[in-house]
Amino acid sequence: MKYSYNWLKELSDTTKTATEVAQLITTHSFEVESVEKIGSDFEGVVVGKILELAKHPNADKLQLTKIEVGDGKILDIVCGAHNISVGDHVPVATIGTILPGNFQIKESEIRGEKSCGMLCAEDELGLGTSHEGILLLDKKTKIGTPLSEIMNNNDEILDIKVLPDRAHDAVSHVAMAREIVALENGEMDYDYDGLILPSKKAKNLKIEIENKELCPRYIGAVLGNVKVGDSPDWMKVRLEACGIKAINNVVDATNYVMLELGQPLHAFDADVIGNEIIVRMGKKDEELVLLDGSSVKLTADDIIIANKEKALALAGIMGGKESGISTETKTIVVEAANFVALSIRKTRSRLNLFTDASGRFEKQLDPNLTEKALVRVIEILEHTAGATFEGSVDVYADKVKPWTIKLDLAYVDKLLGVSVPPKTSKTILESLGLKVQLKKDAIIAEIPTFRIDLKSQEDLIEEIGRLHGYDKVENIAPSVSVTAAKQNESRVFERALKNILTGQGFSEVYNYSFYGQRDANLCQLGSVKHLELEMPMNPEQSLLRISLIPNILKNIKENLKNYSKFSIFEIGKVYWPNGDVLPEEKTMLVGAMVVEKKSAKEEKMDKRHESGFFQAKAVVDNVLLQLGITDHYYDTFDGVPIETPLSLWHQSRSAEIKIIGSEKSIGFMGEINPFVLEQFDIRTRVVVFEFDGEKLSEVSQNEREFTPIRKHPVVTRDISLIAQRDVRIDEILMIIQQAGGDIVLDTDLFDAIDFADDSSSFAFHIILGADERTLTGKEIDSAINSITTELESKLNVKMRK
Amino acid sequence: MLNEKIAKIKEDALAEISLAESLEVATELRIKYLGRKSDFVSILKGLKDLEGEERKNVGQLANVAKIEIENAFSNKEKELKEKSFDFAAEKIDVTMPAKKMTSGHLHPLSRIQYEIEDIFTSMGFEIADGPEVETEFYNFDALNIPKDHPARDMQDTFWLKDEDKNEKVVMRTQTSDVQIRYMEKHTPPFRIIAPGRVFRRESTDTTHDHTFHQFEALMVGDDITVGNLKFMAQQFFSKFFKTDVEIRLRPSYFPFTEPSFEFDINCLVCGGKGCSSCKWAGWLELGGAGIVNQNVFEAVGYPRNKYKGFAWGFGLERLAMMKYKIDDVRLFHSGDLRFIKQF
Repeated sequence: MKYSYNWLKELSDTTKTATEVAQLITTHSFEVESVEKIGSDFEGVVVGKILELAKHPNADKLQLTKIEVGDGKILDIVCGAHNISVGDHVPVATIGTILPGNFQIKESEIRGEKSCGMLCAEDELGLGTSHEGILLLDKKTKIGTPLSEIMNNNDEILDIKVLPDRAHDAVSHVAMAREIVALENGEMDYDYDGLILPSKKAKNLKIEIENKELCPRYIGAVLGNVKVGDSPDWMKVRLEACGIKAINNVVDATNYVMLELGQPLHAFDADVIGNEIIVRMGKKDEELVLLDGSSVKLTADDIIIANKEKALALAGIMGGKESGISTETKTIVVEAANFVALSIRKTRSRLNLFTDASGRFEKQLDPNLTEKALVRVIEILEHTAGATFEGSVDVYADKVKPWTIKLDLAYVDKLLGVSVPPKTSKTILESLGLKVQLKKDAIIAEIPTFRIDLKSQEDLIEEIGRLHGYDKVENIAPSVSVTAAKQNESRVFERALKNILTGQGFSEVYNYSFYGQRDANLCQLGSVKHLELEMPMNPEQSLLRISLIPNILKNIKENLKNYSKFSIFEIGKVYWPNGDVLPEEKTMLVGAMVVEKKSAKEEKMDKRHESGFFQAKAVVDNVLLQLGITDHYYDTFDGVPIETPLSLWHQSRSAEIKIIGSEKSIGFMGEINPFVLEQFDIRTRVVVFEFDGEKLSEVSQNEREFTPIRKHPVVTRDISLIAQRDVRIDEILMIIQQAGGDIVLDTDLFDAIDFADDSSSFAFHIILGADERTLTGKEIDSAINSITTELESKLNVKMRK
Repeated sequence: MLNEKIAKIKEDALAEISLAESLEVATELRIKYLGRKSDFVSILKGLKDLEGEERKNVGQLANVAKIEIENAFSNKEKELKEKSFDFAAEKIDVTMPAKKMTSGHLHPLSRIQYEIEDIFTSMGFEIADGPEVETEFYNFDALNIPKDHPARDMQDTFWLKDEDKNEKVVMRTQTSDVQIRYMEKHTPPFRIIAPGRVFRRESTDTTHDHTFHQFEALMVGDDITVGNLKFMAQQFFSKFFKTDVEIRLRPSYFPFTEPSFEFDINCLVCGGKGCSSCKWAGWLELGGAGIVNQNVFEAVGYPRNKYKGFAWGFGLERLAMMKYKIDDVRLFHSGDLRFIKQF
């Protein structure tokens, strides 16, 4: 809320500057978001008297004036306004004056006539929006007086963020002044408790509340002899300073009191509404035209103010157009009421109508505040509109009374970690309007009803703490037992995984947890039941992801604009609906390798190992190795219905990764189906691997065991062969192992060439050795012999010599 | 006689070796003096024909001479090898850029998270987890957030479509739900942090995103005070920013803490004097904190007023933005490698 510094100063008698007040409030009460200077000093603007007026010879709409500006000086000024006559006193901006909007007055010639200054309208001085002619001043003001001596709208606006716990009491100038007074240990002059409504019953008014739970209090006051007109300048200046437009003296007075005390008020034209006010719920299809001219359809959830015939106002939000104040209004009913916050909030959010009134009512207000505000508005209208108070009706069933809290004094020190003298605590609470009795070990505090937020001991300790100053609380090391923290295994694993992947050249991305139906469709997941947001930011982010792949593909599409090949990964949660209240959250790892685009011919030239799939496979092997997984193998992949359908993958270039001895897969890898990629505008090969973090963690071994280094030499023999396309390399490897026996320690494929006739040449290093002895040449030859014989007979390959 | 001969061979050999100017010459000399057909080798071979004392004396002398000659050879050969190596022919241009090795980059938020985890782990804090999709109870009710609190609005929170469930389900709006889940299973004293992903339904701009990350710290025991909160915060942020920071608490409001604070540290750019980074306030706002509301303890089944604790929550993005001077929060979830590769 915007607070006027001048107003706060008047109420609190502070001697601090606006900036100092802002600092004080920020440290102890609320965050002051800005302090802004408004208005001007009118430097260079003086009071002048019109001595002569004449028509401009060359322009019908302009006049030539002679203006006396003091010390016998007379200025020739050309003026376009016609509301002036000889003898008027007007504000004159002399040469050199800078008016609001950085408009500098210079000596000039207007249609051939010299002009040495400017007569000013209200808006030109930054005083308002009126441009209906020159501002006419009191003829008693002395000629030549600087304008700043007779009027000034200088102020500083403090924009203060009041949080929900104080939104019911602190959004008013009186409440903020009360804070300032409390912080300065001063005395508040404002007689809040003295605002008591005279008990004079209104004769021509009946008020009925149908649902007292939703409207705890309603006071209507009848005021007669109202003369609707402009408000005095001082009031307009204050309203505008706080961001409220001045309308007329009646509406302005209600707004003024709202800014002063925090209670929204509403004024009805009594002749329009008649003599009965009913507070009831809206009826289905009932319509109401509001003050701003808009028409709303009501529901049974809306509280409305009505008479016997029809709805008059949307309670707590906005008045109706018909029953509003007009220039014809003579008698008014001022409403000071209390409504239940939740109901106001529901209605205003359904109708999307945020007003100063609804903003206050939707934070539960104190029903006792209604009376205070009503007394003040009557007081003001008597002065500014000549109104007379004819009486009131107050419907208030369950009167809210002050309550007490017993505060254990030892608890204050124990919670804050600083010793606060009991007298200090007492003074602080009293300064906030509480009635305090100091007992031996405790404080008994009576809470004024406007402090709805003060309910527990801790609430009082907070008041003491913040006013005493949190800067007085020393940093104290907690006294705790020294224990080692228990490790969070899954986080440790995740971190290790990330470090391994970055070590393999993969960069980490974070994606949103959502994607749209379109993304799901493109990734062949469209038919899977996803969890859905009730109100997403946009349709592209409406589903909770069940796979990381759709967003990864979008990352690839975007990054291809800047890079031709790259590798990325994400570790994040996916959300599977499972029939329980909460979905199953799985931590998934998806890595993607984008291979530089090559023509079919270039790809043919590539050695097998250089293709994207095998580069990625090397990464997967490495990752698994570092996780302590060595007994995995790659099996042909037929897709997993629902989870990862084959149609997402390139059916000839994808594999399922399994652990030897277990049919269960731990993950998948392969190229993404080129037709899926095309939908994402990706026109190069993308190899993806996907693991379920938990499954991966289960099979990983973080304990390692050392194998003694071989004492006897190992021997490497190479073999080379030509095989037909249908021979799988794992078949060759298996035969080498079986035929060679235990002395075959390892086999490495080191060359693979594909020929045009659908055959391929493979070359292998076979590493042979034994634990307890050096192999003899004979042993080695015989092993290699049986390997080649077996390969030739079982796989029909041709050995190359 | 033999002695003299040996001495002569040695003398000649050393003299010739010292004059050798190429490896070829040195090799020839080696054959000449130590080769199978050399005089020296025939002397050594003849040793077996000598008797007793003489055999011993000559043998010794011959061995010493042989070692000396061999040393001279190896020194000479080493010298000649080094001399004959043409370093100039191997000259490379060291200014030529090396071929780029691709290395992977950890996301900046992961980096920040690990730094935070490491500091807290070193102070004995456990790292706790909770689900990202949460029930209304854990996200709001147990945290003392009133039923009509605006945070529960559809406008501000991502609710999941209700599929005939008994309980409403929400994308969690803060990591404080982890506090509740942890406290339900543990008895004080304890200290935990809970870093994680949270969601708020707000329009995105340079400082707001609907998905972001928080880390929650919670310390509960018999005698935890506001002073302890200040101390732990001062420890953490001094380590995190690698400089001594000052902590300032300002009053604030959160339903799950009482008293509640906004949490500032002195501006690290200007040291508190005021500059554009801190908007001339001298302080940087970091997040919220407070003393755990007894209603929250009650919600997890602790007796009222038995324990005290502090809690705080900070945005990882905000810390990352401060630390790395990042000016747009949306970059974190952009997947843009031009951004990620800078970390």
